[in-house]
Amino acid sequence: METTETIKTIDTAYIKRTKNGRINIRSGNKIDLVIKWTIFMLTVLSIMAFFFFDYTGLQLVRAITETAYNLRVMFLEPTLNHFSWGEAFHQIGITVGLGVLATIIGGIIALFLSFMAAENLSKPWISKTVRVVVAFIRAVPTVLWVLIFAIAAGLGSEAAILGMLFHSIAYLVKAFSEAFEEVDPGILEAMRATGSNWWHIVTHGVLPSTFTYLLSWTFLRFEINFGVAVAMGAAAGAGGIGFELFMASGFYFDLREVGFITYAILIIAIVLEVISTRLKDRFFPSSVSN
Amino acid sequence: MTLLQVEGLGKSYESETQVLKNVNFEVKTGEFVSIIGPSGAGKSTLLRCINRMVEINEGRVLFNNLDVGTLKKKELRKLRTDIGMVFQHYNLVPRLTVIENVLHGRFGYKTTMQGILGRFTEEEKEHAFFLLQKLGIEDHAYKRCDQLSGGQQQRVGICRALIQDPKLILCDEPIASLDPNSSKVIMDHLKSITTEMGITCLVNLHQVEVAQDYSDRIIGLKQGEIVFDGMGRLLREEQINHIYGTELRELITV
Repeated sequence: METTETIKTIDTAYIKRTKNGRINIRSGNKIDLVIKWTIFMLTVLSIMAFFFFDYTGLQLVRAITETAYNLRVMFLEPTLNHFSWGEAFHQIGITVGLGVLATIIGGIIALFLSFMAAENLSKPWISKTVRVVVAFIRAVPTVLWVLIFAIAAGLGSEAAILGMLFHSIAYLVKAFSEAFEEVDPGILEAMRATGSNWWHIVTHGVLPSTFTYLLSWTFLRFEINFGVAVAMGAAAGAGGIGFELFMASGFYFDLREVGFITYAILIIAIVLEVISTRLKDRFFPSSVSN
Repeated sequence: MTLLQVEGLGKSYESETQVLKNVNFEVKTGEFVSIIGPSGAGKSTLLRCINRMVEINEGRVLFNNLDVGTLKKKELRKLRTDIGMVFQHYNLVPRLTVIENVLHGRFGYKTTMQGILGRFTEEEKEHAFFLLQKLGIEDHAYKRCDQLSGGQQQRVGICRALIQDPKLILCDEPIASLDPNSSKVIMDHLKSITTEMGITCLVNLHQVEVAQDYSDRIIGLKQGEIVFDGMGRLLREEQINHIYGTELRELITV
């Protein structure tokens, strides 16, 4: 009896209890409380917001049916009215071209910068400087960069590519340098111990170990750039399918053409995805079976 | 002839803990020396001070009459080509083939451009295959390293060290991740490197009995200090107890 008593007195020092005396299995820190309050406040604010909307002229039934009709026209009856199939392919080609150019040039520049940004390949102060600059560039959205470059280059494909390039570099430097930092430090040590210099280690130790990661990050960025290039066609006059989309929707109010262009973009996105996975599996398998 | 001289070597990573304290020993050409001691005794640090993978704080390391601590970048690369290194976890590039990994050992002799482009002479490649054959893994030459077993990977690691044409090979617990059978193969190969090729070997080991079987000399390290230095058969049980701080029969020895 006496022993159990002592055990109890020792243990209670470590046990946290809730107000009604039950043993708490959460660590009971402030984070739980903060999350609870945040969710509560957001719920209250969301409900309140509905009471402050401007409901004048809202005809809910009509709005829903007309939206449904518009969507049906857009996606079930797509046609081309203002330009030909050949023209459509040409415009898609321009958009893809914008994406490819920004991704390839960005990828090459990012590769060299990421060697500087990776902590295991570079000096601490260089790595920190590159990281800070790159984080700043990444914090500003691509569209803003395009508009900033438009001041110098004028609205058009040049400004679009420069802006997309800028943001692509920043994005890829972060992704690449983190891939490099994942390389087994033992590999670097072993190569350093053979008398290899920095370039030998990078080209024959780091790059072969991370090549598939670099490739998949570049393809991911290409997909993003393709999407951005569509938007840039409309927003920055960069041309391509995005500009046709802008004209069809905002200028001609041609829902059928908007539908057609949306399908075209969707198909291109799927094709790019399939090509990228095929390429990766074929040439750079993560494991070989023979 | 003395190949390696360590004089009053001291090393500390943070100012608090002294990893190595006043370490003195000499290694002659063609010797097979084992360093034993518990984890954290400073064995790995001692090895890495010799090819200056870690910087030396106090004392001197003389390799082939060169003061390792004072070498410039280029001279250090030259020194490292003379010292091969073998690791516990093999440290090969897993996505490259065996032959590519072996040829990494030649980078120390290459200019930057030759290295980047991977320009190796036919003699170097032939020598690589000769070494693979010697260690019995020539049939895996074109396989990727991540397809090999631990024992095979370690043999690739040894080939990479040998192709450097080194005077000394440092082995950092070469058999610590291997099964007893592969361990014997690896230790036999290391021993034959010393006896046949005359290359000096300095091996970190956990297994006292393996050290006694294979080495000409054993150095016992405890908390950064040498507590034993002599022939393996002179290592008495109470000295082993002193090195490891427990009774020998309480230790698991392979």
